[in-house]
Amino acid sequence: MKIGLEIHIQLPTRTKLFCSCSTSGDEVNSSVCPICLGFPGSRPMLNRRALEMGVSIAKFLNCEITDKVWFSRKTYFYPDLAKNYQITQYETPLGRNGHFMVGDRRIGIWEAHIEEDPGRIKRAGRAGEEVALVDYNRSGVPLVEIVTAPDLTTPEEARAFLSDLLIELRHLVGLSPQDETTVRADGNISVGEERVEIKNINGLRNIERALKFEAKRQSRLLAAGKKIVRETRRFDEELGTTLPSREKEFEEDYGYIGEPDLGTYVIGPMARAMELPETPLARASRLEREHGVAAASARQMVLTSWELADMFEALASRFGGEAATTWTLGPLASHWKELQERHGDRLESNVVPIIEQVCAGTITDAEARMRLDVLAGREAAPAAAPAAEGDLKQLVARLVDSHPEVVKDYRTNPRAANFLIGQVMKETQGRYASKEVSDMIRKELEKRV
Amino acid sequence: MNGAELAAAVRRADVGYQVFAERLEDPIAYEGDHAFHFSTKDNLCSIDFQTRSGSRILEGYRPPFDATAIERLRKAGGLLIGKTNMDEFGFGSFSTNSAIGVPRNPFDLERCCGGSSGGAAAAASLIEDHLAVGVSTGGSISCPASFCGVVGLTPTYGRVSRWGLIDYGTSLDKVGLLSASSAPIRRYLPVISGPDPLDPTSQTQPPLDMSGGIDSVAVPEEMVADLSDDMRDAFQEAVGKLEGMGVEVLKVAMPALRYALPAYYILATAEASTNMARYCGMRYGDIVEDTDLGFNELFSSVRSRGLGSETKRRILLGTFCRMVGLRDRYYIKALQVRQLVIRQYEEAFQGADAVLTPTMPYVAPRFDEIETMTALEAYHADILTVPPNLAGLPHISLPCAYIGGMPAGMQLAAPHWKEGRLLSLAERWESEFQYRIPEGRT
Repeated sequence: MKIGLEIHIQLPTRTKLFCSCSTSGDEVNSSVCPICLGFPGSRPMLNRRALEMGVSIAKFLNCEITDKVWFSRKTYFYPDLAKNYQITQYETPLGRNGHFMVGDRRIGIWEAHIEEDPGRIKRAGRAGEEVALVDYNRSGVPLVEIVTAPDLTTPEEARAFLSDLLIELRHLVGLSPQDETTVRADGNISVGEERVEIKNINGLRNIERALKFEAKRQSRLLAAGKKIVRETRRFDEELGTTLPSREKEFEEDYGYIGEPDLGTYVIGPMARAMELPETPLARASRLEREHGVAAASARQMVLTSWELADMFEALASRFGGEAATTWTLGPLASHWKELQERHGDRLESNVVPIIEQVCAGTITDAEARMRLDVLAGREAAPAAAPAAEGDLKQLVARLVDSHPEVVKDYRTNPRAANFLIGQVMKETQGRYASKEVSDMIRKELEKRV
Repeated sequence: MNGAELAAAVRRADVGYQVFAERLEDPIAYEGDHAFHFSTKDNLCSIDFQTRSGSRILEGYRPPFDATAIERLRKAGGLLIGKTNMDEFGFGSFSTNSAIGVPRNPFDLERCCGGSSGGAAAAASLIEDHLAVGVSTGGSISCPASFCGVVGLTPTYGRVSRWGLIDYGTSLDKVGLLSASSAPIRRYLPVISGPDPLDPTSQTQPPLDMSGGIDSVAVPEEMVADLSDDMRDAFQEAVGKLEGMGVEVLKVAMPALRYALPAYYILATAEASTNMARYCGMRYGDIVEDTDLGFNELFSSVRSRGLGSETKRRILLGTFCRMVGLRDRYYIKALQVRQLVIRQYEEAFQGADAVLTPTMPYVAPRFDEIETMTALEAYHADILTVPPNLAGLPHISLPCAYIGGMPAGMQLAAPHWKEGRLLSLAERWESEFQYRIPEGRT
């Protein structure tokens, strides 16, 4: 199966792409002016911030940046399009030939460009007598369009791709909080030879639903020995099915010409000078790489809170990735909000000494947990009294004996000890310092090697 | 002229020559404090008059803002007396393609004023001390200036803000000035010039430099080869006068200019066809009978009734030139030709301060002659005015002869941003050559 997406995401600028109207008009047709209504004699002025956001997205998607760009008029007649042409980029997208990684899958990005949104049509009245009303608040709102190669192989992967992309862009340019429901996409999907385009699907969930339905429909047709017709379909959100589009069945000819009012913009130097912030998923991969954190844990950390990941990095640099993961995703993550609120900038300097002591074995895990609870402003759970060393020794010896396969592994892979450490920690519920436990297990293992 | 005299002159121009699409009717409106009076072509938006751009589809349209040029002239103390007739959206060379009114030539009522700023040229000719704001896309200031015997200056593309100008060809449209002599233009060009945040193409201009003159002109031979005998003789006489004034005249070859006309009609109509798209019945045009139609049919119906035949022709031409499969052969090629023409001028300016041609190949034609012209013959009238317009160069048309009582103009084109040069030469020319005043101005 091959799936390619054309994704439209609203850029979170304060004002529209070509005028100074607010992008957040609430009352219908309240945020409009002669420019976004296309009055004769009005002309566009480019919102620099939108251009910068677009360029940073193209750069982030590893695109080759077009040095000099201009805008084009894409002409088609539709009631929501104030000028009956849309100002977009045709010959010179901001960037081409990029890619975006979903896990270890590389998804090609054909291009990224910016353009203006049309108005919004609302239908009102009873069936048969319904009228279309146009709200131009959205007219001229900046969008970035990202076109992928047909590298996605399942609807689930398409959703994962979009979801990951939104996570990254949210951090990069600060998307609106509703981005998962406001993202729009056209999906091109082919199970066999011929591809079908599903136009204008709204929201992450519907995009996956539409692709799933369409994949099933095409597979059934093929299984029944029928042919798939190349066509444009639309997704009915209520029925959950794709239907042949009511639009006319011919390739639209948009008759692109340059937009003379906006001139040309040299964006190459701007893109080169731009320093992109590290994005969440990129940071997660780095944490995996640098500190040996499991992929899922790294992702959980960066998505819980950017500062939590900062804490992790601070701990990992002193006490190693393993201890840092345990303490960050455990006690720290579970009361993160309270910890941040109570300690603010001093949080790190208050936490570090506790982890330092537990790693040195001078306090038990339970003691450390108790102290962290106190930091979080919670009532400290009574610490269980540390048991005698003899009990631990016996437990360790028993576990090592009952797992000869670990002993065998340990000869070639010292990390095999982690399994036993985990078992002991579980059984003793943190009554011993983890350093003490791991030291003892390694000692026992060494004896048997 | 006092207010009453001015009101009377404006009324005479309108009643006798159909100069205005709309004007101040009440004589009282002409009284009071104003430093000067001016009119604008009907494609410049103004708050206090309808702005129809010569089209039925904009019937009753009252813009919520003034064009920048109008705003600046008002601020300088100007009284806007009315909006002048023009070809619909600027589509024509004789001002006969108008849904509002066809202006008559001040020197002969049976003849046209030229176009598309025909009303503007007639106003400049008929009303004493008048400043007429015109607009040129491919020669719409030079042509009527030549036919009506007035001075018409078209500034460099980007010199005057186009905010409030109803577009014809967005990459070609230029707001300029017409007047019976060059002095008012010299005075008011600096007023309307200069950067405007509302028009990004106006923001990269260098300051207007009114110094400098013209010591030498280049006359491209291929541009004067096809003139009628009387026009050639008249032009030669004007060239002789210039030489007598000490201006060096060089004959040059500028072969690329031959391609300017087809390239211009492709670019101008391609842009126009997109600029016209908004007139579809959603906000402009009469939709009374069509409310049950689907939007495609509604749009077609409104446009069929609201737009004139030359407008439809240019929409079709322009749409054709930008279609998939044809775009490269026409639109993209025309863009390349434009660069070629610009380079050709740059070469010519290495050897001369300006390029000189007649403005039009003939004097103002009679209306009955225009009726029998094919569209191509009419487009051919622009052969001399299109090249500097396509290149975005400032140019001026100055009356230089009278043939059978009808005025004829010569056109000088200067390098980008060198409007000052043209106006200096105009001043010198006017001390050597006496412009005639038409009978209608009495």
